[in-house]
Amino acid sequence: MQTRGSTVLPFLVIGLCAASLRAQTVDDGLLMPRGALGTGLLYAHDSWTQYWEGSVKRDNGNIGTLTTQSVTWVGGYGVTDRLSVIAMVPYVWTHATQGPLHGMHGLQDITLAAKYQLLSTPLTDRGTLRAMVVGAAGIPAGNYEPDFLPLSIGLASRRFSGRFTLNFRAHQGWFLTGSTAYTWRTKVTLDRPAYYTNGQLFLSDQVAMPDVFDYTVSAGYQRGRLCIPISLSQQRTLGGSDIRRQDMPFVSNRMNFVKLDGLVMYRGILLGISRIVSGRNVGQATTLRSGLFYTFHL
Amino acid sequence: MRASLRQSVLAVAVAGSAALAGSGCDNTITTSEALPPLQAASLDSGAGSWRMIVLSGPTQFTVAAPAADTSAAYAAELAAIRSAQANLTAAQRRSIEYWSGGGVLRWNEIVRELVARFNLPPAPRPDGTYPVPDPENPFADPQFPFANPPYAARAYSYVAVAQYEALKTAWYWKYQYHRPSPARVDNGITALMPVSDLPAYPSEDAVLSGVTVEMLKVLFPAGVAEITQRAAEQRNAALWSGKAAASDIAAGLALGKAVAAALIARAGPDGMRNAVGNAAQWQAFADSAVARGEIPWVSQESPPRPPMLPNFGQVQAWLMTPTEVVSERPPAPPSTSSNQMRDEVAEVRRTVEQLTREQLAIAYKWNDGAGTYTPPGHWNDIAAEYIRDARMSEVRAARAYALLNMAMHDAAVGCWGVKYLYFNPRPIQLDPSIKTVIGLPNFPSYPSGHSTFSAAAATVLSYLFPQAAPDFAAMKEEASISRLYGGIHYRSDIERGKEHGARIGGYAVGFAQQDGAN
Repeated sequence: MQTRGSTVLPFLVIGLCAASLRAQTVDDGLLMPRGALGTGLLYAHDSWTQYWEGSVKRDNGNIGTLTTQSVTWVGGYGVTDRLSVIAMVPYVWTHATQGPLHGMHGLQDITLAAKYQLLSTPLTDRGTLRAMVVGAAGIPAGNYEPDFLPLSIGLASRRFSGRFTLNFRAHQGWFLTGSTAYTWRTKVTLDRPAYYTNGQLFLSDQVAMPDVFDYTVSAGYQRGRLCIPISLSQQRTLGGSDIRRQDMPFVSNRMNFVKLDGLVMYRGILLGISRIVSGRNVGQATTLRSGLFYTFHL
Repeated sequence: MRASLRQSVLAVAVAGSAALAGSGCDNTITTSEALPPLQAASLDSGAGSWRMIVLSGPTQFTVAAPAADTSAAYAAELAAIRSAQANLTAAQRRSIEYWSGGGVLRWNEIVRELVARFNLPPAPRPDGTYPVPDPENPFADPQFPFANPPYAARAYSYVAVAQYEALKTAWYWKYQYHRPSPARVDNGITALMPVSDLPAYPSEDAVLSGVTVEMLKVLFPAGVAEITQRAAEQRNAALWSGKAAASDIAAGLALGKAVAAALIARAGPDGMRNAVGNAAQWQAFADSAVARGEIPWVSQESPPRPPMLPNFGQVQAWLMTPTEVVSERPPAPPSTSSNQMRDEVAEVRRTVEQLTREQLAIAYKWNDGAGTYTPPGHWNDIAAEYIRDARMSEVRAARAYALLNMAMHDAAVGCWGVKYLYFNPRPIQLDPSIKTVIGLPNFPSYPSGHSTFSAAAATVLSYLFPQAAPDFAAMKEEASISRLYGGIHYRSDIERGKEHGARIGGYAVGFAQQDGAN
């Protein structure tokens, strides 16, 4: 087995976004070459003090600052030059600086994805246009408690998403990527026999989860082992209710946000920062990320 | 159609995973209880003589005799039902099906929904103070009411007692006049709900709609539009189904409203309006604890929130005199400086830090905190299945809910009186390193409200459904210990609360043993 340092850029951009959402997307325009096996660890530190209760921005003395930390293992393999498979699983810790509420920790959701390059074609003599599709599934790795937001480590729903990505890379190294996905989510089972949301009492422990739509546009520069993308992404939850006045968040709330994200990746080292610029039923999170990736060429 | 083969294959793969997701993801969730059409096990024809609680007797309100079955007016009413049945829409049929499950059970479900909707504490103002919900301005922020557990216990009980008094009165008059249901006298009218030999005048559905809507307008004034609509639906369903004629309904509605007025007259001066108290009273609780050498309760919220309904212990009970409320109280909690208290604090800390997933699930199952139907609502939810399965007549179902909810209201009165007598701190106040896995209630610790409510409820339900007594006992134990798992109560809060609740529940059982319904 031939191994060497990663020359392939980290094959993932993982959006450990708003603490309450933690959507994990596979939304870049990059693929593993055939036979390449990549693995890495990503650490993220996400915190917010203000959040949107519906559309009302506020802080909460019984939460203080809510911090979510995670260590995510990621692995990827180039099945062919056009098909990569990706797996990842995060371990998550939550903590509130004020108030009585206990933090939680545990394995969150396993994500498995397959990324396929539909198209790679020179566009004029300036660069290359690629189109990709990604199918991904997210499955809770353990029996964690989703009914304790914002301290819960995840939403405990199974997710299936279909993503389409278009990427143009100029020969000089500039690139532009657009990506959009639709995510279906299965019902969540609570530990209680009834709950109130969307103006109704539900006499059930089952919660219907609205689907999610997101898109990302990113632009950046890549040369050799250096890549610097900057992206703007938006998530829209297609249903769900607002957090009521002075209520706790609920698993099926309409969690929306717009996020600005900047990354620097060099030789398998990743540093990133993102910030939620506007949102609904999410915290205004600032997320710092660092990661180390290594690629083996089999 | 022009896509390449490869693209088609991918499209199928993506669509396939979507279909897979969709199939595991049927997003319809039942909001209401599945209730089969009510065919009562007994007509309970003697219910007109069952013991009253607030009314002097069934003749406190007179229901005038109906027009003769042979009158032109009644014939016109029957014709109107025939015509309505010929043109029923799908929505009208759904409404009939919904209400055929039983009005008492349906209204109980609706009240639980209202409680969950209004069970939110006021948000703090920018200056760190808290506004008080204002019944004169119920649609403002904060909305009125804050349907916290004592408020909810009282609301459930007023609705249940009002329904029970109104139905006993209705039963009395039904058996004075013996007018059958339209579906029984007119072959052209189909019974779209089960129609029994129960006389139709005055209509029990209309009695329920009238009495409930008037009670709820007072208890949940901001819900008035929805409440009025549901009440009208219930009356229409009775008419369209051939169960009651227009005059049966008019008489029932008037009777229901009259009984509600009598209950509202009792509610006005029952002490609820003084339950919030004022800053001087809140300070006096703390001063009293300090004078006894104890550490007084301090709100752990930020900003500190005034304690929940400190004078609720003075609200009028249903089945206990003020003297009995005091004499049934549990003894004082362990001193905040005692070794026992030190050990109990340590037990809370140890329990939360070593919590299993099963214990966490129990803490959540019974949490019933802000934004939910509260612990009394949970016990109403539990009772619903047993009432349904016993196929109780409307008046017997109303009795069951009246007994259950009078006991839980009295439990709230008793428990809150003790909480503010001792003003005992929560575990995290004595050991700030303790963190809770559920929300921390903003009132003193001793004794546990969940334990008091649950023991009172289990005592009453065990009397009503003796074959299920072991189940109720197990639920009571689980609900009570869930507060230790949550990190918000000491063991002695739970043990003394259960004993206290059982004694209070005994008053409702004592009433039930002699109310003439057995």
